[in-house]
Amino acid sequence: MRASDRARRTSSAVLLYVIILVAFQVFLVTVAVEAFQTDAESLAWATAAVSVVLFAAAAAFLRYLRP
Amino acid sequence: MTEQQAPADVPVAPPWKRDFPYEVLSEEEVTRREFARYLVLGAGTIAVANVGIAAWTQLRSINAGEPRAITPLADVAVGVPHLFRYPGDDDPAILVRLSDSEVVAFSQKCTHLGCVVYYEPDEERWHCPCHEGNFDTRTGNVISGPPTRPLGRIDLEVRDDGMIWALGRHT
Repeated sequence: MRASDRARRTSSAVLLYVIILVAFQVFLVTVAVEAFQTDAESLAWATAAVSVVLFAAAAAFLRYLRP
Repeated sequence: MTEQQAPADVPVAPPWKRDFPYEVLSEEEVTRREFARYLVLGAGTIAVANVGIAAWTQLRSINAGEPRAITPLADVAVGVPHLFRYPGDDDPAILVRLSDSEVVAFSQKCTHLGCVVYYEPDEERWHCPCHEGNFDTRTGNVISGPPTRPLGRIDLEVRDDGMIWALGRHT
């Protein structure tokens, strides 16, 4: 496999990871709203923590993308 | 007369582009890195929103309510629910007289997603029609369905003058 093909596949995979992470973030919004409605504080904070971790992971993936 | 020199860091357009200043379609394209950057920006916004929701959930004060007269006990028939608002005017609540001496009241908001619950005397339960959640008539505990927490119970007291008083709500 040529180096350019490998780099292209890598960046496609990274982009796919980022899309999946953002989709999961959208799901977490629904969990947070449900936690708010049911006054479940621990669930709301756990959701926020996971959301921040996912954001950090998505930001870290940016490093592996080709310009 | 001399021509003004462009700064060194500004790319100089070739002469043909100055003469024919049309835009190539590819100039409008978003690179995958830019696209990913937008996505990460969106993820950051959502993360901030989730932290905000968590903080709001933690910090908001839930009005437990002040003692208030609801209705005379004599006006409430056994097995017939009585609707009222407690602790605030936006908080629907429901009261039912189970026997001559036993009266219970709960918040009418289902603890699943906030739909209104109804009393089902035949089944002796509070029923939420939105997602088929059911709660015990006396305790408000979950019998079946998606809710995980009991209904908000309202403490009642029947005073000497026969009036039912709400004393406060448990969340």
